[in-house]
Amino acid sequence: MKKIILFVSVLLFFFTSIANAHGPVRQKAEEKITINAPAAKVWDIIKNYGDMSWHPGIMSTTVKGDNSKGAVRVLTLKDGGTITEELKKYDEAKMSYAYKITDMSSSKTITHAGAEEKVPALPVNDYAASIELADKGGKTEVIWKAGYYRAYMNNNPPEEMNEEAANTAVKAVLETGLINLKKLAEK
Amino acid sequence: MFSLNCHRTILGNKAVAICIATALLSTPLAAQPFAYISNQLDDSVSVVDTATGGVVDTIAVTGRPAGVAVAPDGSKVYVSTPEAKGFAVIDSKKREVIARVAVNDGTLGIAVSPDGKRIYVADWYKNNVSVIDADSLQIIHTISVGESPSGLVVSPDNRWLYVANRISNSVSRIDLKTLTVKKTAQVGTHPFGLTIDARGERIYVANVQSDDVTVVETARMKPIATVKVNMLPYATALALNDSRLLVTNQDDGSVSVIDTETLKEIALITVGTKPEGISTHPDDRHVYVANWFDGNVSVIDARTLKVIDTIQTGEGSRAFGQFMGK
Repeated sequence: MKKIILFVSVLLFFFTSIANAHGPVRQKAEEKITINAPAAKVWDIIKNYGDMSWHPGIMSTTVKGDNSKGAVRVLTLKDGGTITEELKKYDEAKMSYAYKITDMSSSKTITHAGAEEKVPALPVNDYAASIELADKGGKTEVIWKAGYYRAYMNNNPPEEMNEEAANTAVKAVLETGLINLKKLAEK
Repeated sequence: MFSLNCHRTILGNKAVAICIATALLSTPLAAQPFAYISNQLDDSVSVVDTATGGVVDTIAVTGRPAGVAVAPDGSKVYVSTPEAKGFAVIDSKKREVIARVAVNDGTLGIAVSPDGKRIYVADWYKNNVSVIDADSLQIIHTISVGESPSGLVVSPDNRWLYVANRISNSVSRIDLKTLTVKKTAQVGTHPFGLTIDARGERIYVANVQSDDVTVVETARMKPIATVKVNMLPYATALALNDSRLLVTNQDDGSVSVIDTETLKEIALITVGTKPEGISTHPDDRHVYVANWFDGNVSVIDARTLKVIDTIQTGEGSRAFGQFMGK
């Protein structure tokens, strides 16, 4: 009986912490790239929220909904992990959209401070991002911004789930995506 | 004194208007109102001279400064530093940190009493509020509240302290005579920043998850209205004799303006990316918004509902709390 109570309370603890809390300091990432192609051409490549094939880390995308607020896409990564994202804002005229991660698979389980911790596919929590294009007289500037917390939601994070792990992973996603987008648009 | 201030503010018709308004409202010896913006990712606090619209100093504050509270006489600025597990005391004349106070694990929300004698600090992880004597900087009491307490506000009569409990979806009312929780109101999902009107009759709390603002009548601690705003409302501020409520919508890059009589949203003003902290200038008309992602501050004229200035501050401008000096 005691075991069951302990199990339930551990379960409750996990449920509340995963659903709600986060680390104290939000992190940010911002990557820009200038592409030698008209904005319309670049927009054409990224404008469909349900198609992220332009990113080299993504194997496939499925989507529910169209290019409007509330659409949900599931990105399957090349390593098999999944990231679910909800479209929060879509502006065709400004060539921009914003979205949030709502769910992720875990890449591994670690033990930290006596508890099992699942490290999410992208080691972040409460992640929101936006991508926008700016017409620079025939060229295009792409700006990709993200705000997020580290994956670990209590004090004293393990190194797989701290701020540095989050920043490194997000920077890589943004950078590799933009480099590939440039390659595709300048073809 | 005034002519000096006004000379420094002749930047256009609007700036001159601000100068006159300040002259009328402030006492002759009042210092220039400064806004203190915590730049969490830069470990600093920007001092904004609201008369010139420029940053006049940047104070180094380690420990990821987040929450801000300015003493009523403007002499001190208290800045919570979650990674240093406490808060820093800034001398606003010297413009440097003169003391550091260790409080608890996850200090975020911070407020100072209207008489300047006490500082209140909420702890995100320990679910409590510490009461600190502003002279001795000693913790004199710790009060258990709901889960992940965030925003704090003291009633203008210095009788009550209100705490938004983010995970408990509630606001606690603490009796400042007995230092105990007297009543708790259920509000929207994940309340964060809150403000109180000049008469102490109403609280406006922003609920980050339910995208709305709960209006709580303090006498009964009952919600009397829920006003839908935009994505991820973070904090609130009142202007124009409490007739307008301004709410930062973090995920929309905007500020919702609510008419407090009809309790309807009357305008949506585009500001920077990820607006967070919001405070009103002592002129009761200009509202300052810290844009976390852009590292700047938008200045809104609550009368014309337009952004009249944007001031560069630092990385991760958060300024959670009452960051405006008088």
